Formats: sequence, C-alpha cells, structure tokens
Amino acid sequence: MISFIIRRLISGVILLVVICALAYSLLFFNGSSIARNILGDQATPEQVALKEQQLGLDQPLPVRFFHWATGALTGDLGRSWFGTLTVSDALVTRVPVTLTLVIVSIVLVAVFATILGTAAAIKRGWVDRLVQVGAIVGDAIPGFVLAIALVTIFAVQLKLFPAVSSISPGAGIDAWVASLTLPVVAIVLNYVTASAQQIRSAVIVQRERDFVRTLRSRGLGEREILLKHVLRGAAPAGLTVLSLQFVGLLGGAVIIERIFAIPGIGQLAVDATVNGDIPIVMGVVLYTVVIVIIVNLLVDLANGWLNPKVRTS
Amino acid sequence: MKFTARVSALAALGVTAAVAVVGCSAGGSTPASSGGSGHGGTLTLGIIAEPTSWDPSQAHVGHGLQPFQVTYDSLLLREPDGTLTPMLATSWQYNDDNTALTLDLRDDVTFSDGAAFDAEAVKANLENFKSGNGRQASQLAALESVDVVDDDTVTLNLSQPDPALEFYLSQAAGLMGSPASIGTESIISTPVGSGPYVMDTASSVPGSQLVFTAREGYWNPDLQKYDKIVLKSFQETTARLNAILSGQVDATILDAPTAAQAKSANLAQIEDYRVDWQGLVLMDRDGSIVPALADKRVRQAINYALDRDTLLESILLGYGKSTDQVFGPDSGAYVDDLDGTYDYDPAKAKKLLADAGYPDGFDLPLPAIPGFETPLAALTQQLADVGIRVQSEPVSTSTFLADLAAGKFPAVYFNYFQGEPWVAINQLISTNALYNPFKTTTPELQQLIDAVQTGGAESSELAKKVNEYVTDEAWFAPVYRIDQIYVYKSDVVSVEKQIQSAVPAIYNYTPAG
Repeated sequence: MISFIIRRLISGVILLVVICALAYSLLFFNGSSIARNILGDQATPEQVALKEQQLGLDQPLPVRFFHWATGALTGDLGRSWFGTLTVSDALVTRVPVTLTLVIVSIVLVAVFATILGTAAAIKRGWVDRLVQVGAIVGDAIPGFVLAIALVTIFAVQLKLFPAVSSISPGAGIDAWVASLTLPVVAIVLNYVTASAQQIRSAVIVQRERDFVRTLRSRGLGEREILLKHVLRGAAPAGLTVLSLQFVGLLGGAVIIERIFAIPGIGQLAVDATVNGDIPIVMGVVLYTVVIVIIVNLLVDLANGWLNPKVRTS
Repeated sequence: MKFTARVSALAALGVTAAVAVVGCSAGGSTPASSGGSGHGGTLTLGIIAEPTSWDPSQAHVGHGLQPFQVTYDSLLLREPDGTLTPMLATSWQYNDDNTALTLDLRDDVTFSDGAAFDAEAVKANLENFKSGNGRQASQLAALESVDVVDDDTVTLNLSQPDPALEFYLSQAAGLMGSPASIGTESIISTPVGSGPYVMDTASSVPGSQLVFTAREGYWNPDLQKYDKIVLKSFQETTARLNAILSGQVDATILDAPTAAQAKSANLAQIEDYRVDWQGLVLMDRDGSIVPALADKRVRQAINYALDRDTLLESILLGYGKSTDQVFGPDSGAYVDDLDGTYDYDPAKAKKLLADAGYPDGFDLPLPAIPGFETPLAALTQQLADVGIRVQSEPVSTSTFLADLAAGKFPAVYFNYFQGEPWVAINQLISTNALYNPFKTTTPELQQLIDAVQTGGAESSELAKKVNEYVTDEAWFAPVYRIDQIYVYKSDVVSVEKQIQSAVPAIYNYTPAG
C-alpha cells in the first residue's frame, strides 16, 4: 500500500511539473502585448517599455519559467500584474470558498445519487423510469439556467435566501448555509442524475453476478447482500464518476460563482485569464492540479480499500 | 469490518468538508447589514471590481477610482459638474508659461496612521506615482520634479505644459497615501490615507465585500455622510441586478438590457449620464493599409452611411444619444452644431465614394473585439449597403491594444472614454495618441493642438477648433454616446452623477430623507 501511494505521488509530481511548464509556455504565447494591456489606452510607449522590464518580459521564456518555478518551490508565487497583491494572498481567501462549494455539492451528489441509483436498480418500474428521465432532463438543462431560475424564485421574489453571496469573516455557519444553499442545489440538481445513472447500472450488473446468486442461495438477506456486497462492488464506478464530476466542478463552478457572486477561485481565474494576469493564472493552475492529484489519489486509495485487486494492478 | 472501512471513508470525506467550512468562517467579526436612511447609517454599493492594490500609484479612473475615494483624499476635489475645488490643496497657481504649478496645502490633516500631511508627503506620493508605473501613470508623464517650498507649499515642475494636470490631481495622480506607508507591503492590502473612511479589514472579504468605517476627527465632515460604507464587488451584471432587486445593495451600475427590470422594480436611475462613446476610429488616414481611407471623401462616406438612430435603438434599446463628434458635451470642446454634420444619407455616401474613385466600394478590415460583435454586425450591414465590404477579424482581448498600437488595424470599432479636451486629444488625436497609431497629422491640426496645450484657461475653448477640424476631416465615424445605467433605491439614498466618470464619486451619495 505504501509503495502504491509513493508511486502515485511521484507520478503526481511529474504531472504537476509538466502541466505547469505547458501552461506557462501557452500563456506567454503572445507575451509582448501584456504590458500594454496592463497600462491601458492612455500609456506612453516609454511606460509600456518600462513595464515590460519591471515584469521581466524582456527575458527569455525558459529563464522566466525557471524563476517562477524556483519561487513556487519556496511558496512564492509572485504578484498579480494588475495590482501588487501577492498570488498567495489572492488564493488563500478564495480556495476554501470554492472547495467548500464543490465538496459539499459532491458529498450531497454522492448521497442522493447512491439512494436514487440503488432504488432505481432494485425497484425498477416507475422509480427507474423517473431516474432515467431525470438523467436526460438533468443533462439537458444547463447549470446556469437552473441557477438563474433558483435565484429569481427563491432569492429575488420570495427573499428566502440571499441573491448574492453574503459570506464574510465570522459570519457564522448560518450565513454560509444561506449563501451556499441555492448554488449547491443548482449543482446537485444538475449533477446527481448522471451519477445516479452510473450507480444504477453498476448495481444492476453486480446483482446479476454469480456470487450474489450464491450468497442469495445460502440464505443471506437481500438487505445484507446489498449493503455488504453489491454496493461495495458498485462503488468504484460511482467513485470514478464522482471524482470526474469533482474535477469538472473545479472549473465548472465558475458560472455558478459568477451568478451568485461567490468569491471563489473561478471568478479570479476567469478575470486573470481574460486580462492576461499570468502569475494569478499560474497560481490557480498550480492549486487546481494539486487538488486534482489529491482527489485522484484519494479515489484510488478508496478503490484499493474496497477492492484489493486494484492495489496490485 | 468491510462496512467499517466504508463508514470511515465516508466519515473522512465529511470531516474534510466540515474542516473546509469551519476553516473559512473562523477569524473575523460580524457582517455588515445594508440599508440605512437619514444621517449616518450604512451605504452599500454594488461595484464591478475592487482594487487589486491599495497603493495609490495603482489607482485607476472611473470604476477604479471610486473605492480609492473612500479612504484617500486627493489634492483637488472634482465637483459633480467637473469644476475643481480645494481639497488637500487650498489653492494652486501656474507660472506664466504653464510649466510650474504651485500648490498651497492644508496644514491640519493627518493620515489614518498618524503621519502628518505636508509638502514632503506630496512629493513622496507624486514620486511614488511616477515610479509605481501603474495603470494611470500617464497622468504624470509631464511631471519632471517636485520642489518642497515649505511645509505647506509644493511646486510641480513640468517638462511641457499639460492642460489636464489639475484634472489629474483630482483623479488617481492626486490621491495621497501616508508617506510612512507608501512603498511598503502593507499598503497593498490595507489603504492608509487621510480620507473620510478607514477599512475594517476584519469584516472585509477580498473579492466579495469591503467594509469601511467613518474616521473619527476627519477634517471635512461634509464629505463624510455615512457611519459605514460597504462595497460589494460583482463582475456579472446579472449578479448586480439580483443584489439590488433583493435589497443587498443600495445602488449599482447595470446595462441597457437590465434597465427595464430595474425600472419595473421601482429603482431610480440617474438621467442623462453619458461617459463613453462608441464608433469607428478611422486610423489609417495615410492609406498605408487601406488606400481608400486616405481620401477625406471616403471617410465622410462612411459617416453618411451610418444610420445612427437605428443603431441606437436596436443595440442600446435607445439608452444613449447619437452623435457625430468625439468630444463630449461636458468637455467644453463640444460644438452643438456639429451633431447633424453627417445625417444618414446613403445616396450621398455612394456619390462621395464614386467621386473618390471607388464606385464599387472597397474592402475594410476591422478587428472583431469580444463584446462588440453585435454593433459590428449592424455596422457591417449598413456599410455594405453603400458598397463598403467589412472584413472582420476576430481578435483577443489581451492582445488587441498592443496590435492596435503597432498599427495592425486600419480602423477600429470600440468603446472610448469622453474626457476633458486635453485628455481626449492625447487619447485620440495627437501623434502620441494610442488611437492614432499611424501618427497622422497636418501642420494646421498640429497648430490647433499646440494652441490647446499652451492655452491655459482658454484651452477648452481652443479645443473646439480641434473638434471642428477632425469632424470635418472625418477622422472618426462616431455612432453614439452611451447612457450609464446607474440605479439606486431612492427611498434609501440620493445620488448625483459625476461627469466623465463611469460611476458617481463617493461624495455624491447622501442618505435619503
């Protein structure tokens, strides 16, 4: 198990370096125009030249990447080019907000998807059809449409929840709950059906396998078979789709964050990308890749736990 | 046993989520509530973006200036109608050839960290602004040196006259930070000015809301109308609309498509508030990319081909005013009679094109800037009607200004600020202007521009001649001036517009009733 984790960590680090180097080169593809973009339409050519020098844009790309990477190793991700805020300061308040939104959503998706998927697989009939139809509808309605509908009804008209984030320091758990309810509901409604569909299929496959028939013939209760054996066998499929959804949400939460004005990492990333604020973009890339690597590691560990065969393969 | 494993896995996930939630909410005080009427109370504004640095050298105009006004005083105060009145400087005087500006300063002002405001502080700030090379660094491009005459007198020496300098001293360049604080790390995240409010960092969330409390003993209580100011930043117009509809902010800026919703919700809107104009800048007047543009008749034909009122109705839903000139009505360089110079006349456009030797029209490449697709499409149609074939090339937001400066586009459709005459000339017309990348000029025009530069108090009046010249020469094909849709809850706050500023100055808000 230890060597499995170590192997995973090493490949994670390699992945991190490769992605950062690639992202850095791509971002600088049209590097010469950044100084002008920062200073805007009133700046003189002299100021633009000075800005390029200040930002180190007059140095070759590999040198700049080396500086950035050595800084990143010591925890110094540089400063925003559009202000003078450090990248770490910009990220430190935003990463937890996005992670809370994403983790709470995914946990709820996991719970509801398991219940719905299992129910559909076992009961079949109308429950199954409902889940199937729900999957199609859930896929068809974009998350932002749901979000806008929710905010219009429950925030602007009924005033039950804040229309935009009211998260602030020390606001207490109630403000967090109030601010995150509508965004989380929007995400869960949008994501739960796809996972439920996966779990449904996996449960059906498991229930038809020989060992289940053997267990049943030995007189084990349906309930015990389901909880101890079927769900365990179906879990990897569920975990895989959930981890994919988690990674997707790290980027996909952008739209939800913008609609509800949640001060998460998505807004920061979009603004920085549009502006060409490369230190911020690289900071976001770095954090996101690290989180993705950790999530994948956790999912692999969970799968290994549930199914020892995974560990040796 | 296996069941336990699964339970602990789930528990681990749960704990992670809980840690994330607790971790975020720990460490701070209570949030601010919005609303408030009468005197004092809280003003909550929905803004587009908060400053990325509180170092005054990084301050910006319009949207960017407003948050700075909460915590910083400027040397001069710009009244809502644009006149300049004393603030930290009590009086100011140019020398005879307008190359040295001497300011008398208040001697009773301190910064929020206790440091005194004096001539040395002004010198330190102006030098910081120059070396900071921020987004408005061009405001002090003409400043050569600063002389401290005595404790409350300072002289600004210029390399050449700059008729906009006094205006700039009421904007980003005039913001004064504590001399002990500028250049340090802490001022980046926490402003230290002499202004009416101080930031409550414990209650502020970067990227979401900034909270400010009234500063005790502020030297000018007239400018300090609230106990507390909360700035909430929302990038999305929809989020700003939702915020004001649900009562989370008292005033905010919207756009034409959301204006109707605001109106039906009984929100008040500032009237006749126009800060930007849109249209074509016909930059290639020497014809180096598109030879046809070298001919004045062709440029005039483009102007006659535009049905501005239709564009205004269809694109801005009527929220604006069509125009033929680039200087704004508030600038002093505006000439009433110039509007109407190029009333829609496609037949005349065709005739001018034929006279210029282009009876079959010509090809006109235009950059398609993200966000301007709709007006560009409408424009393309109208120009096609007289034979001008627009070829739009998609460009990226992050590169187009640099490409424009490098002279890659013969013309551009964009959104432009309509500022003070000298600001507008240096933005659009002079050989230094970004929107004149081919550096076209004529001796006659240069003479008119020089007259504005050295004109002192007369410079706005003299800029009318520049306006008439470039309008007649059809250097531009303006379409319309755009209404700022600034809405507010009139039962809570009254708001006055600030000319030539995208949002009202922070001093223009007063509790209602």
